[in-house]
Amino acid sequence: MDKQLEKLISLHDLDVMIADLNRKDIRKREKDMGLHTEGALEELKELRETFCKGINRKWRGLYNQLTKHYGNAVVPALMGRCAGCLTRLPTAVCSNPERNTKIHTCPTCGRIIYWAD
Amino acid sequence: MKYTALCKFDLNSASREEAITELLGLFSIGEKSRGLLAGALDIREKIGATVVHNNIALPHCRSILVDKLTVVVGRSQPGISWPEQIVNTVILFVSPVNLNAPLEHNKFLSHIAGKIKKSGDKISEVENQDELLTLLGFKLADQGE
Repeated sequence: MDKQLEKLISLHDLDVMIADLNRKDIRKREKDMGLHTEGALEELKELRETFCKGINRKWRGLYNQLTKHYGNAVVPALMGRCAGCLTRLPTAVCSNPERNTKIHTCPTCGRIIYWAD
Repeated sequence: MKYTALCKFDLNSASREEAITELLGLFSIGEKSRGLLAGALDIREKIGATVVHNNIALPHCRSILVDKLTVVVGRSQPGISWPEQIVNTVILFVSPVNLNAPLEHNKFLSHIAGKIKKSGDKISEVENQDELLTLLGFKLADQGE
C-alpha cells in the first residue's frame, strides 16, 4: 500500500476519534466508564498536527479540502464503486492488483479511494 | 445492532501491544489493514488506558477499515501488562464509520458498561468461553442481538 495512502487512512481515523470526543453523548459515556481523560482532545489535536507533517503537501491539501466539503475524504471502494458517491470506478483500476500502490481519487466526487486488502 | 463477535480464550500475549495484535489477527481483514487498526487503537490507548474495571480492558475505536461492528473478546490466564495494571480480559471492538455509527458505537459502549457494572467481577473470573460471552451478552460470529 502507498505510504501516503496509509497515512491518509490513519489521519481519517484520527479525525473520527477527534470528532467522537467532540460528541457530548460519546464523551459522557466514556467519562462515566472512566475512559475519558482530561486533555485527551488536545492531545489528539497535537498528535494530528504532528501526523500531518508526515503527509505530502498535495495530499494533505486535498484531504483537508474534501473533509471540509464532504465530511469524509477517504472512502473504500465497494464492489467497484466509490463508497462516497457510488460512482462506478474504472474497471482497469479496480482489477489491478497493485491498485493500492498509488493514490486514486473518484472521478466524480474526487474522494481518495482505497481497496480493502 | 448487528455485529461480529469472536473470542480467543487463551491469549499468549504479555503486553498490551501484543494482545491488540493477537486479537486483531482474528479480524477478517488484510495484514496492512490490521497494522493500521493497531495504530489507531494504540493512539486511543496513549490518550488514556482503557482499563474499565479490575482486570478488564476495553480497547476500541472507529475506523473506515471495517464495514461492520466487530468485537473480539480475549482472555489471558497469566495476565497482560496494560501497562500500569494487569488485565486478564480484553474486549476489543472496532466500529465502522458511517452515518449511524456514532450512535451505534455509543449504544455498544453502553451495553458493555451495563454488563461490566452488573457482573464485572464474574466476567474477569469466569473460566470458560461460553460463560464469558453469555455474561457479556455476545453471540459468536455474525449474529446480532
